[in-house]
Amino acid sequence: MKSVAFGQYYPSNSVMHRLDPRVKIVIGIFYIVASFLCKNVLSFALLTVSALVLILVSKIPVKIVLKSIKAIIFIMIFTAILNIFWTKGPEENLILHWNFINIYVDGIYNAVFIAVRIISMIIGTSIFLTYTTTPIELTDGLERLLYPLTFIKVPVHEFAMMMTIALRFIPTIIEETEKIMSAQKARGADFTNGSLSKRAKALIPVLIPLFVSAFRRAGELATAMTCRCYRGGNGRTRLKVLKTTYRDYLALFFIAVFGAAIVLLNIYAPGYTM
Amino acid sequence: MSKITVENVSYVYSGGTPFEMAALNDVSFEIKENCITGIIGHTGSGKSTLVQMFNGLLRPSSGRILLDGRDIWENPKEISSIRYRVGLVMQYPEYQLFEETVEADIAFGPKNMGLSEDEIAERVRESASFVGLSESDLKKSPFDLSGGQKRRAAIAGIMAMRPEVLVLDEPSAGLDPAGKNTIFDGIKKYAESTGSAVVIVSHSMDDMAKYCEDIIVMSHSRVAMKGKRNEIFCRGDELEEIGLGVPQITLLMRLLCEQGVNISQDIYTVDDAEKALSELFGGAR
Repeated sequence: MKSVAFGQYYPSNSVMHRLDPRVKIVIGIFYIVASFLCKNVLSFALLTVSALVLILVSKIPVKIVLKSIKAIIFIMIFTAILNIFWTKGPEENLILHWNFINIYVDGIYNAVFIAVRIISMIIGTSIFLTYTTTPIELTDGLERLLYPLTFIKVPVHEFAMMMTIALRFIPTIIEETEKIMSAQKARGADFTNGSLSKRAKALIPVLIPLFVSAFRRAGELATAMTCRCYRGGNGRTRLKVLKTTYRDYLALFFIAVFGAAIVLLNIYAPGYTM
Repeated sequence: MSKITVENVSYVYSGGTPFEMAALNDVSFEIKENCITGIIGHTGSGKSTLVQMFNGLLRPSSGRILLDGRDIWENPKEISSIRYRVGLVMQYPEYQLFEETVEADIAFGPKNMGLSEDEIAERVRESASFVGLSESDLKKSPFDLSGGQKRRAAIAGIMAMRPEVLVLDEPSAGLDPAGKNTIFDGIKKYAESTGSAVVIVSHSMDDMAKYCEDIIVMSHSRVAMKGKRNEIFCRGDELEEIGLGVPQITLLMRLLCEQGVNISQDIYTVDDAEKALSELFGGAR
């Protein structure tokens, strides 16, 4: 059950971990855009290399990265098959014709390209945003990035605080659920056998105590925050002030060069174009 | 006669991952019939993991748990029947209450066992009387009870299954002395009237000394000591080494002894201390 918690943060001390979360969010978005700009063999090759470099730089074990890819393997295969069978190319590219099935070289190219794009995108975003950034850093960064919205009266701080609290309590509530389930199992509750409606009904003894304790916790947290004089974001200073260093500028520079390289390769390189 | 036998049990959390952690390491002991056994140890010494094995909530990574001489995992499909025979009250059990009335909540366990209405009603009355819940308490919503009453209602919910072994994990944690006494008295009543074996997990030496005949001391995922109450508490120095110490009253008697008062050091309860002291002073009041 612990695996459900999406606190996939992988503790380490790589350069990637030490980047400013704001910069990582910006780069993450930029990386997704870049992966959509890729159009031919060379630019996709660069994208693949960049994903491998990211894994190396962030020092995340390949095994763990593969796990996150495993989750989307079905979608990938599905889109690849759709592409192979449904892409129509010029007549001379037809390589297989059987009844109503026509397979073109273009379709195979497209299937491979899209698979590479999805994989790189998943690797890129998960490395920038989940593996190397704690959820708290992430919401901190988001709050700072969205700060300009406060001028049009968007309660950015409040949203960020809500997100932080929600993330903070996911593991706690999972632990609580496990505890309550064990307690009810000790009283003979059965969550695995029986019809669907029976199993749904068996969850009542878990859900009621869970809600009660969630509300209790929320009340206690509110009291504790009030006791420490929390009164929203106005004039609030931070314990950890986000600071950009030369590293962050270097990272931004790299991603800019990377984007430019992809655009250039798209223009000049020969071969099949998507 | 041994009721539960724990044979070389080890347990590893998150086995095969970088977060692997041994919670129990080659643990063996016996829980006797008609006897209150105490399991004592620090936070993190593995006692809560251990008790969840008695009723099959956790399965040992290696080793066996025998109930009446039979491995409880002999037939994994029937593990729920083991849970009726070994009743486990988890830590802070008041958070598991969910029904509309206390009565219905206590009846949850017996209902799952498939007992008849009459039998259930009788068992609810009986277990409520063990823990001192009144007829009017039974009609209330469990969420309207006080903390101590909630705890007692939750314990009654397990007692109503009439388990042959009643296991309680920190039953008195966070209660005031009066609440504590009510709970321990209830447990004692249950043990006496049903003849069940009882296992109490705690880190309070005083509670252990007062209620338990056999004591098992856990330290760093292993059994550090096991034996009769006297055998354990006379090893005060070792207990202190583990970081547990002896009951307050024993400590007091020792200090008296050091001051030259001629009194036995093997005194573990306030009643015994009273007796010894009044003997010392010739019964004069």
